[in-house]
Amino acid sequence: MASIRFDNVTKRFVDEKNGGMFTAVHGASFEIKDQEFVVFVGPSGCGKTTSLRMIAGLERQTDGDILIDGRVVNTVHPKDRDIAMVFQDYALYPHMSISDNLSFGLKNMGRPASEIKEKVDYAANVLGLSHLLDRKPKEMSGGQRQRVAVGRAIVRNPKVFLFDEPLSNLDAKLRVQMRIELAQLHKRLGATIVYVTHDQVEAMTLGQRIVVMNQGHIQQIASPRELYRNPANMFVAGFIGSPPMNFFDAVLEGNKLRVGDMLLEIPADRVADYQGYNGKDIILGLRPEDIHDIDFAYNIPTHNQARVQVEVVEHLGAENLVYFRVGERMITAKVAGESSITTGDTPTFVFNMDKMHLFDKTTEQRI
Amino acid sequence: MDKWKQFFRDYGWCYLFIAVPVILFLVFTLYPVLAALVMSFQKYHVLNPKWIGFDNYRMMFQDEVFWKAMWNTFVFTVGTVPLNLFITLGLAILIFPRSTRTQTFFKAAFYLPTVMSGVTLALVWFWIYDPTESGLLNMFLGLFGIENVMWLGKSNSSLFSIMFMTYFINHGAGIILYLAALGGIPKSLYEAADIDHASEWSKFKNITWPLLKPTTLYLLVTSIILSFQVFMSIYLMTQGGPNFATTTIAYLIYEHAFVYYKFGLAAAESFVLGFIIILASIAQFKFMSSDVEY
Repeated sequence: MASIRFDNVTKRFVDEKNGGMFTAVHGASFEIKDQEFVVFVGPSGCGKTTSLRMIAGLERQTDGDILIDGRVVNTVHPKDRDIAMVFQDYALYPHMSISDNLSFGLKNMGRPASEIKEKVDYAANVLGLSHLLDRKPKEMSGGQRQRVAVGRAIVRNPKVFLFDEPLSNLDAKLRVQMRIELAQLHKRLGATIVYVTHDQVEAMTLGQRIVVMNQGHIQQIASPRELYRNPANMFVAGFIGSPPMNFFDAVLEGNKLRVGDMLLEIPADRVADYQGYNGKDIILGLRPEDIHDIDFAYNIPTHNQARVQVEVVEHLGAENLVYFRVGERMITAKVAGESSITTGDTPTFVFNMDKMHLFDKTTEQRI
Repeated sequence: MDKWKQFFRDYGWCYLFIAVPVILFLVFTLYPVLAALVMSFQKYHVLNPKWIGFDNYRMMFQDEVFWKAMWNTFVFTVGTVPLNLFITLGLAILIFPRSTRTQTFFKAAFYLPTVMSGVTLALVWFWIYDPTESGLLNMFLGLFGIENVMWLGKSNSSLFSIMFMTYFINHGAGIILYLAALGGIPKSLYEAADIDHASEWSKFKNITWPLLKPTTLYLLVTSIILSFQVFMSIYLMTQGGPNFATTTIAYLIYEHAFVYYKFGLAAAESFVLGFIIILASIAQFKFMSSDVEY
């Protein structure tokens, strides 16, 4: 297995639509440790797939160095990087049987027939494909095809596994099941895995560390817990977590934040941190789960309260999503399923300021 | 009764629209085919056709020129179809990776001969094959000290000369079909193959060729049908000569029908040609068919 390093890697493409150049990845630097499961996450066009393809050698970076296991692989052909990749559309050879799909790489490498059979049987066994080896891809379901694509990667026993949105073509139920299987597979293989997705739930559940990208820039690299608790900026704060974090326009007034008509008290131990921003416009970030229906506000300080008019309530069973406005911004509160708040009510909410996040209004960075 | 009225009110227009092509098919395709079938059993005369049973077929099979024409047609087909298909595929593969603008240029360039009149092409090639030193081919070979050749006038070179001409002019439609098919093969298959240690040849053999099979089958079937029916170039350039060296089955049918007015014999020959084409097509579908889905 192996580590991967990006040293100031930039990728520019010719922009065929508008002419000129388009920068997909701006000077990315990071290191993925041996046997680590790292997820690249971000919205469409953020540069995550381009980064993965550069690791695979399917795209060549414009600047910077990529190292696999300490070796610079800038000009190394994909086949010589000792990687395997699972594609978004699975890229199974449609006219070959599953057995041939699995063994194609090994045959090209000139491995002996006995070794090929052994490895194909092992992969098929691990992935529950043994009874399907004679079938063609079109005779299989989406989940089975996905397994074959993973199997094709396993048989080669590569240093690095690359996954490009492998679950995006599956239905929600199957996605959850495959997510669990992939996590188990990582444990079993002990492999270095780089996984690309736009789904933050997938990223949070699978990744040991997550690389959040936007518009070609790395926004933050951290563990799922760290990203959730201490987002580096408003983009990460808004992208990680579902429903996303609420943002309020606020003014710092001593140890209080003025948010519209509300005055919310900052925890005493954190006041000193923000004194440089006194009297200035800032952004308050508070996750929906940190805004409580007062009737269900247990074990949290309840002195930061406000009455607001509810615009919509969505009942999800275990919890309800309550929408209301503060100024121009629509705010979401995630309250207990038993809460009796209904559309048009003016209930009192408790804002748990212990969990607040403050951001600079201009730079959007965390303060 | 009301039911019928309602049916015609709902679907009457559909049948009216369908009726137009159906009537055209019946009058201009099915009726002539059936009439020709009947004709093949007759000594045909416009006013007084005479039923002669299988005499036309017997005469045909005993005619040496018929077998010579069959052989020529076979040689022409075997000598042109696979090689032309190979050239077409080769050109398409060379054009495919180019930019859209370059692709369009080459598509147009190779398609141009297809839209040109066959007579014009035949005249151009007639000049190329001119037996004197003013013929382009002889002029070129003269540079190397090779003597003038009567390309179309000698029985050992005339059929080859007609075949050689097709290598340059019949690729336009095939290239466009192959380019469309190549564009339909997902790029990720080649990328997966790159990672799977596949060489360029392995990628062609294991991805490109199998996934182009439906297009190849279509081109093969249509090319063989057209090649069995080769007529215009023969009619314009050699009239089947010299010494029947370029007489193909389609040209023989024309000659029997419109030179010797043996319509019954020509009809019998057409049915044999049609039967062979059907057999060849079935064989190709059987051996080459694939149901690729990706």
